[in-house]
Amino acid sequence: MTAIEFSGRDRPVREVSSFTSIALTYRIILRQLTTRGRVIALTLLSLVAPVAGWALGASDASLDDSVRLIAGIGLGLVIPVVALVFGGASIGDLRDDKTLVFLWLRPMARWPVAVGAAGAAITLTAPITLIPLVAAAALTGAGNGIVVGTIISGLVGVIVYVSVFTFLGAWLKRFIVWGLAYILIWEGFISQAGAGVARVALRKYTRSILVDQTGTDLDLADFSLAVGIIVPILVAIAALALAAWRLSAQDID
Amino acid sequence: MTALPPPVVQALAAPAPPPDTGMITVSEASKFFGSIVAVSEVSFSIGGGVTALLGPNGAGKSTLFRMICGLTPPSRGTVRVLGTDPRHDRAVRGRISLVPQQDALFDHLSASEFIGFAARTHAVEDPDRAAGRALASVELSDVGSKPVGQFSKGMRQRVKVAAALVNDPEVLILDEPLTGLDPVQRRNMIALFHRLGDEGRCVLVSSHVLDEVARLGSRVLVIAQGRLIASGDYRDLRGLMDDRPHRIRVGVSDPRRFAAALVDRGLVSGLSLDTDHVLVDTLDVDGFGRQLAVLAVELGIRITEVSPLDDDLESVFRYLVEGR
Repeated sequence: MTAIEFSGRDRPVREVSSFTSIALTYRIILRQLTTRGRVIALTLLSLVAPVAGWALGASDASLDDSVRLIAGIGLGLVIPVVALVFGGASIGDLRDDKTLVFLWLRPMARWPVAVGAAGAAITLTAPITLIPLVAAAALTGAGNGIVVGTIISGLVGVIVYVSVFTFLGAWLKRFIVWGLAYILIWEGFISQAGAGVARVALRKYTRSILVDQTGTDLDLADFSLAVGIIVPILVAIAALALAAWRLSAQDID
Repeated sequence: MTALPPPVVQALAAPAPPPDTGMITVSEASKFFGSIVAVSEVSFSIGGGVTALLGPNGAGKSTLFRMICGLTPPSRGTVRVLGTDPRHDRAVRGRISLVPQQDALFDHLSASEFIGFAARTHAVEDPDRAAGRALASVELSDVGSKPVGQFSKGMRQRVKVAAALVNDPEVLILDEPLTGLDPVQRRNMIALFHRLGDEGRCVLVSSHVLDEVARLGSRVLVIAQGRLIASGDYRDLRGLMDDRPHRIRVGVSDPRRFAAALVDRGLVSGLSLDTDHVLVDTLDVDGFGRQLAVLAVELGIRITEVSPLDDDLESVFRYLVEGR
């Protein structure tokens, strides 16, 4: 081995700044998450929405029907599922393939790692879901309100679902199973039971944004625009704080 | 690993309560995973230089290393690295490096990128230059632009070592770092470890291969069944191994006559035989080896096989732990 000189013992203690930690984590996880299979499969899932939007537009459907389509397929299925795959994998994959040690055993705080991971997942989830959903909203021919509502509710949905599932991935090994159970059973079924239960379902808040922007009438979507935006953002912040705590507390292989 | 027999043989110096001056100080540390005892009441303190951690597979070496790096907290006891708790002290993590046993790397990165990433996450000044130096230290400069996913196991090991060196660590923990290396790379890597140790760094290297430990250095910690069963100078351990009874299987054309001659000359402490072999227990393995051929010539018999049956590491540990 080549004789090289290292700098010796008297160097200052170094810590990585929060901004640098976020940027480094973001870059490495973005590249880890970007696999061809994932991107193609999830894009195909998202393309269901514009196809349905085009079909609806061709049949002169009402604004209510168009909003129901965006709320059901877009906010209720496409965004949560794509966010689950990318958000859960952002930390979960690193833990499972044992590369998390290369981020953990570093002089870095934990919260920038959680933020960087969620940022990487949002970077992939947003275009894969929002572009098809906005296209779907436009193809229904139901006016500008549904397009604007889809953009705002979709963006809020992407942020909150990715954050929650980033925490889920840091917390549980079988995050896909638990995440799907939440999306399909809790949000898709149990939360329909009444307003009290729906209050703890994220889709109620995103649906409320869509309803506010379109002036339509959907079940379980009666929050104001402010509540529809602020509560999910607070949930996202709490989820990332929990993900950071989980990173600090868990055993690393 | 739940039933832990008391060590019959305290091989070298019995593990003593550690002084506070070591760069790594482990005090009565235990780690449980449910009912499984992975590490049990381990205490030691080590400073600068190379120390080898010897133990068979599943002995608790990796768990002990994970505790030292703060990757998992001890269930009982304390671990201090450079005077602080590595689990909770963020700053000390910049002064420790670990070469993990697992093969996982960011496979989409090139070797230069991977080591540069390690440098940046350690806030190293001029990370690209540091990465270049670290790559050179493991002789991978010429393949630095290739993705590590295309590397052989030995090259991946060297990438991990380079990434561990890039932050100029004071404490370097290497979990089976010689796995997958060819003999030349092994020799070079061991020389590198010694040089790092000579610079005053605390270099702790695990291995389950006795011959590797012999070359890693004179200081050795021996762990088996989660317990530290010996610590001290490797030469003492080697001497103890040479002094223990050895079992050898000898294939001969006339086992009965050969066995009688061995007993007559007092070369064995016990034996058994079948139609083609004599199973010999001897305390003087060198003397037995010298007399074997002489005896065969004198008796006019043919030797077809000489196989030591207890030269593997498991049998050494069985002897150290259980006295058999």
